[in-house]
Amino acid sequence: MDRTDDMLRDFFAVTAPAGLGDRLRAALREEPAALEALIDRFHVEASERGVARLSYGRGRDVAAGRGRRHAEQARHELAEYLAGRRTFFTVPVDLAGVGEFQGRVLAEADRIPFGQVTSYAALARRIGHPRAARAVGNALGANPVPVIVPCHRVIRGDGSWGHYAFGGALKTRLLELERTTPLLIGCTSTRIVCRRGCAHEQRIGEHGRVVFASVADAASVGYRACKACKPRDAAA
Amino acid sequence: MDERTFERLAEEYARRLYAVAYRLLGNRADAEDAVQRALMKCFAARASYSPRWAVSTWLYRAVANVCIDELRRRKVRGHEVSLDDAEGGERPRAGSRESGTVPGVRATRGGVGGVASTPPTSIGRRVDLTRALSRVPREARMLLALHYVNGLGYRELAAIRGITVNTVKSQLARGKTILRQALEAGGHDGSD
Repeated sequence: MDRTDDMLRDFFAVTAPAGLGDRLRAALREEPAALEALIDRFHVEASERGVARLSYGRGRDVAAGRGRRHAEQARHELAEYLAGRRTFFTVPVDLAGVGEFQGRVLAEADRIPFGQVTSYAALARRIGHPRAARAVGNALGANPVPVIVPCHRVIRGDGSWGHYAFGGALKTRLLELERTTPLLIGCTSTRIVCRRGCAHEQRIGEHGRVVFASVADAASVGYRACKACKPRDAAA
Repeated sequence: MDERTFERLAEEYARRLYAVAYRLLGNRADAEDAVQRALMKCFAARASYSPRWAVSTWLYRAVANVCIDELRRRKVRGHEVSLDDAEGGERPRAGSRESGTVPGVRATRGGVGGVASTPPTSIGRRVDLTRALSRVPREARMLLALHYVNGLGYRELAAIRGITVNTVKSQLARGKTILRQALEAGGHDGSD
């Protein structure tokens, strides 16, 4: 026992604010927002190369031949994403129909990590067109595969939403979902850290899960990165 | 575990969970939000709760998981606990629909709240400690908070973070060494 111990004990002595218990009790009685129920409102159009269009509202899946497999995979991954069980998509996308500029914008938007946001202007700078923020907005507005290519992670520079093809309310819910879904999950028995949504991560039991902030943090306490989902790339 | 039992447990542990979250996240709104999210996750998973586990381990791990993920987001945004937060600076609740803000993009404004009866003379010391703590690696900081806020032992800390007891000991020792060095350096040059 030294002076640092006393100092830390004193420093960490925190009194909870008044009414905390009541507020928590009220929160527990709230119905959680059922975002996963929205899966039935998404419709996938897939070609042999991958998902070509994702629409929201009335409609049905359109796919033939090998495209059917992509459509099924997209629907499965989308359902997991909406349930907070997935942080990345592995289904291929078919952007054959988009122009060169829009293709670069969508490729850059696809690099925005899960749970993070960037501005239209920052995205324009990253593709080498710093004065083209509005054109970037238009290119994202015409994104044929929203959610899978995460154009919802691009917002206005002042922090407000900006336009979203599926409506501002859904953009809010998607960003809120990403804010409350952890990215890196460690398994306490294997000491391996995975991205949320990795097949290995999905096998971890409820009591075997610990969240890490980075692969380096996990390594500092004896965990290694999963070789299948390569979390180092995602959490960089 | 039934709903009523869980509510009783939540009430019993809320203050202790809040204390950990507050010292890790640095402000009242985020701390309350973290405790609420952790308890809601446990509430949703209460059917799978196994009595083999200590309830405290289960709840502390849930709140540690939420806080660690929140710290990851802050790291990405380029700041962790700011000086405005050092003494309980208030922030609007992250991503609240009412405030119309973007989750994870928040303005910081100063204010006092969250720490009860802080004597004015100790505020300087607390700011120093907050600064010094921000230099301690996240995993060690988490263990320090759990250890000093609630007096949890090595075994429970190991169970909460899914690591070995020896790792707990080395992380705590490393955290305290960095803290001491940061406090000494701060005392000499007064820089951040």
